[in-house]
Amino acid sequence: MNRRDAILAACGSVVAMPTCVRGAGVLMNAPDADFAGLARIIEHDPGLTANLLKVVNASVPPSGVPVLTARAAFETLDSVESLRFFVSTGVAPHYVRAIEGYDQAPEMFLQHSVTVGVASRELARALGIDAPDHVYTAGLLSGVGKLLLGAYVQVDLREILRLVFDGGMAFDAAEQAVLGISHAELGSIVLDRWGVPGPVTRVVRHHLRPDGYAGRDVVLDLVHVGNVLAKMIGVGLGADGLNYEVSTGAVGRLGVTSAVLDRVAADVVVALDGLRDLFLACADGGCRE
Amino acid sequence: MSNPLVVGISDMKLSTRPEDVIATYSLGSCLGVTVYDPRARIGGMVHCLLPSAASARERARRNPFMFVNTGVAMTVRRLVDLGADKRRLVFKAAGGANMRDDRLFETGVRNFQALMRLLERNGRRLAARDVGGTIPRTLFLYLDTGRVIVRSLGKESEL
Repeated sequence: MNRRDAILAACGSVVAMPTCVRGAGVLMNAPDADFAGLARIIEHDPGLTANLLKVVNASVPPSGVPVLTARAAFETLDSVESLRFFVSTGVAPHYVRAIEGYDQAPEMFLQHSVTVGVASRELARALGIDAPDHVYTAGLLSGVGKLLLGAYVQVDLREILRLVFDGGMAFDAAEQAVLGISHAELGSIVLDRWGVPGPVTRVVRHHLRPDGYAGRDVVLDLVHVGNVLAKMIGVGLGADGLNYEVSTGAVGRLGVTSAVLDRVAADVVVALDGLRDLFLACADGGCRE
Repeated sequence: MSNPLVVGISDMKLSTRPEDVIATYSLGSCLGVTVYDPRARIGGMVHCLLPSAASARERARRNPFMFVNTGVAMTVRRLVDLGADKRRLVFKAAGGANMRDDRLFETGVRNFQALMRLLERNGRRLAARDVGGTIPRTLFLYLDTGRVIVRSLGKESEL
């Protein structure tokens, strides 16, 4: 079995996304849990969002239209009890692990995920683009492959970083060369296996190299630039640092300029202040092993 | 190390206590600037997101530390208010990284240029720097000596 197949096999046994569930767990178990509070935790948590989409799309959509956002999923659930049930059917707390392989603390992964989601959405707003609602979900989930690799695969970063710094490769290209798969592709494959709909998994697959997608997808372009912006802000940077390429194609299609990016960066930092409590809830106790 | 005073994005911390350490984590294209008076042993650190407040005056009024030109100037002013001597201040900087081959936005480069313009305009020099490239950096300022440490990819070096 080659390295790529071994990684896919290892991640294939993951039944629920590893995530920081402490905050949601406390709320889910509280006797007086309120729907809005629980929904707020879930919609900003990549693990719980992926889980919710997996469960809802496997059992609910009576219309046949896939559910692409946590908010849309909440509309099908009308009480704390039903939300608790849907989330807990897939959450496996013993799968929650620190992201050791990529030198990134779990709360940093959460912060980065939320930042990409917020940045993608704020970018659309600044550019006057009427983006589909799932731009936030796609941004939030875009980095799940790194979480999976870091938690379930013994990744030797030294060889990847050698190719990055000595070989002049972008980080995802070096992952591909060493592991046979990039974290972007891995994330999309695992999410697809979980039943997360195509419009989201497609963005996850191509978010680092949007020009590799033959069609036109404004959500993909927004999440690509949103991810660039999040890394520039420095939220949740791991060993990969800023070693990714900016797509001139995506930037050109969206019409992003330095002035626009600066303005959005400022908006994102302000927006993140309003989510500080979510990050602290995760950071205080760390993730359960 | 005792618990450091942590500087967030678009934030500034200063201290007059020699036992304190000020830190900022995960500088990407943002610029971290330390300012220290070695005789008064007063210092501060600012973590600036963007180079100039010129096109965002209202935002700069609400939070001057978001921008290099207003953030560093405000840090100096606060230190002087606490008894630092402007002529003795030592400036050091880290961060200002960019995405690989980024010729579109160059936020890190623009942040550092803004700092150099500000210092030049005020006849001051930068004592040390660790800027540019594609690596994230964490920055520490020790108030007892003014020692500045940069940590990146698990390695530490003194500025």
